[in-house]
Amino acid sequence: MRLTPRSERAIAWTLGCYAAAVVAFLMLSGLLVLSVGGSPQAAFSALLTGALGGKAAIGNTLAKATPLLLTGLAAAIAFRARIWSIGQEGQMVFGAITGYGAVLWLGLSGPAGIVVALVAGMMGGAALGLVSGVLDVRFKINVIISTVLLNYCVGYLLSWLLQPGVWGDVGQTVSYQQSAALADSLYLPLLPGLAKVHLGAVLALVLTVVVGVTLGRTRLGFEIRGFGLNPRAMVARGVDAGRLVLVVMAASGALAGLAGIGHVLGETHRLRPDALAGFGYTGIVVALIGRSSAPGTLAAALFFGGLAAGGLTMRVVADIPSSLVTAMQGIALIAFLLAEIASGYRLVLPVREEGTPA
Amino acid sequence: MSDLFSATILTAVVIAALKMATPLLISAMGELVAQRAGIWNMAVEGTMLIAAYAAYVVVVLTQSPGLALAAAVLAALLTGAINGLLCVVLKLDQFVTGLALNLLAAGLTLFWFRAGLQGEGVPTFRSLSPIVEGPFAGLYPMMFVALLAVPLIWWFLERTRPGLELRCLGENPEALDLRGVDVRRGQILSLLFASAMTGLGGGFLMLAFSDRFVPDFTGGRGWLVVVAILAGNWRPGRVLVAVLFFALLEALAIQSRVGSSLLPEQLLLAAPYLLSLALMAVFRSTSLEPAALGIPYRRR
Repeated sequence: MRLTPRSERAIAWTLGCYAAAVVAFLMLSGLLVLSVGGSPQAAFSALLTGALGGKAAIGNTLAKATPLLLTGLAAAIAFRARIWSIGQEGQMVFGAITGYGAVLWLGLSGPAGIVVALVAGMMGGAALGLVSGVLDVRFKINVIISTVLLNYCVGYLLSWLLQPGVWGDVGQTVSYQQSAALADSLYLPLLPGLAKVHLGAVLALVLTVVVGVTLGRTRLGFEIRGFGLNPRAMVARGVDAGRLVLVVMAASGALAGLAGIGHVLGETHRLRPDALAGFGYTGIVVALIGRSSAPGTLAAALFFGGLAAGGLTMRVVADIPSSLVTAMQGIALIAFLLAEIASGYRLVLPVREEGTPA
Repeated sequence: MSDLFSATILTAVVIAALKMATPLLISAMGELVAQRAGIWNMAVEGTMLIAAYAAYVVVVLTQSPGLALAAAVLAALLTGAINGLLCVVLKLDQFVTGLALNLLAAGLTLFWFRAGLQGEGVPTFRSLSPIVEGPFAGLYPMMFVALLAVPLIWWFLERTRPGLELRCLGENPEALDLRGVDVRRGQILSLLFASAMTGLGGGFLMLAFSDRFVPDFTGGRGWLVVVAILAGNWRPGRVLVAVLFFALLEALAIQSRVGSSLLPEQLLLAAPYLLSLALMAVFRSTSLEPAALGIPYRRR
């Protein structure tokens, strides 16, 4: 039995590969639960209840999915152009900082304050994205490296800003940093009927459509996809590669920045490093599992949002640490990548011919 | 800043910097080999984290730093083997597999740590101890291993035949393939070597720096290793300079937490990242990056 590449995908085989990936994902996650002496059945049923069991659970899932959808879209448009930006984490935090700083500095409140904060957050994220873009275009510094470096720099910047005397809340401890709370009038309005789901979810959905249409139906989208598949051909067609990198990095940064400030205005209502941490990195996985398409990213963000919401219930009900979810995300990505590879191959059963030695 | 320059503090800072440099340098010399062989190992951070956690669990269970180091190396080798399977054998994008492994490492260590796999309460801990007497008092034997690795790796890469072949893997794998050299085998071996070195670094980090594991224990040191290789332009000597420089800045940042300093601690902590960006911007024209770095080799 051996594997050979297949020229075109067969639907049944592809579905089989992905089904096998799901089974492997569940089995490995179950093994992890067993490894700490838990019951996989109890853990998974708690996870499912926390993600989908009732209105409150679904609200939690959507709330958790919102920032992931935005950072996922941010990663997706960069990846479509084969620009390996992993700066979503830093851009998201930087967007939260600039948005929060803008309303603080201008002393705004109410809807005007919300709009200014959102715009400032997007601009902050875009600016940081542009820094990596310029470093790549002008100085030939690898985007992976510059974005990783900037992620850590933004982390230190936030930690510095949250000191007492700068933005730090009074009475906080050294190990637990947060800023003062925002005025109530700056909270993003919640959607009626769904607890915890704020206006950011609607914005994220609208932007999913915008990104999808841009990638699929516009000249810019064509250039981005073409650049990802064959940059030389696009340059030969007269596309300005440098400009394209800058546009993509700015747009990607803006989406990530919106994720950050949206989460601050919609959920935490103050700057808290621990509440923001991870959305950027998880967004990368969301985009990779969503094959860097807008609908795929939406589906993956909902899946990961459900995992995150269910993880909290799992901790309470089944006494399994919610960090299982992070490990499950890694397993899901690897299983998915393997399924994607496998779906490009076919299984060939050995045919023994007469007269030839086996 | 004045108290920073008194002799005792200066000595303390230099010793602290050498200590900081040790895990980075060991890991960087390994990763340099992998990168020169054409493998963009993005999983350094995750490998180091897994290794540190493995060292922690084993040292708590056995009270033996030696066994703990061995466990760290084994755990790192396992991570490297998975990465090799994904990115060399199956030819998945090295960037993607590295990120996946980093995520998996962060999730697994956090999960097992929170689940209390290492036992209840604050564990008793036997860490690696520095040399007590003589001219090298305060230094760790592992520091000499790290410093010795630099000329050894240079000699291997530049002066031996296997080293030449390895460099060729990163520059022109097709030429080697045509001559009948197994590209896949060479790349996997170099990735395993890199992972083992990172495991040793992660184990040392755990055993010499801390009395307990905390989530995200490595805190970006794995990425700093990757940055050191780029900032050092893929040459062992320059990578050494970059690592020593980063370590000195980190030692100063810690010193500034204890004493007084004109600069905020966060700025000193961010300095290696900012300065390496500046360095790379200035020296971009002389990049000696292997030509086939990060490109999975496919036979035409």
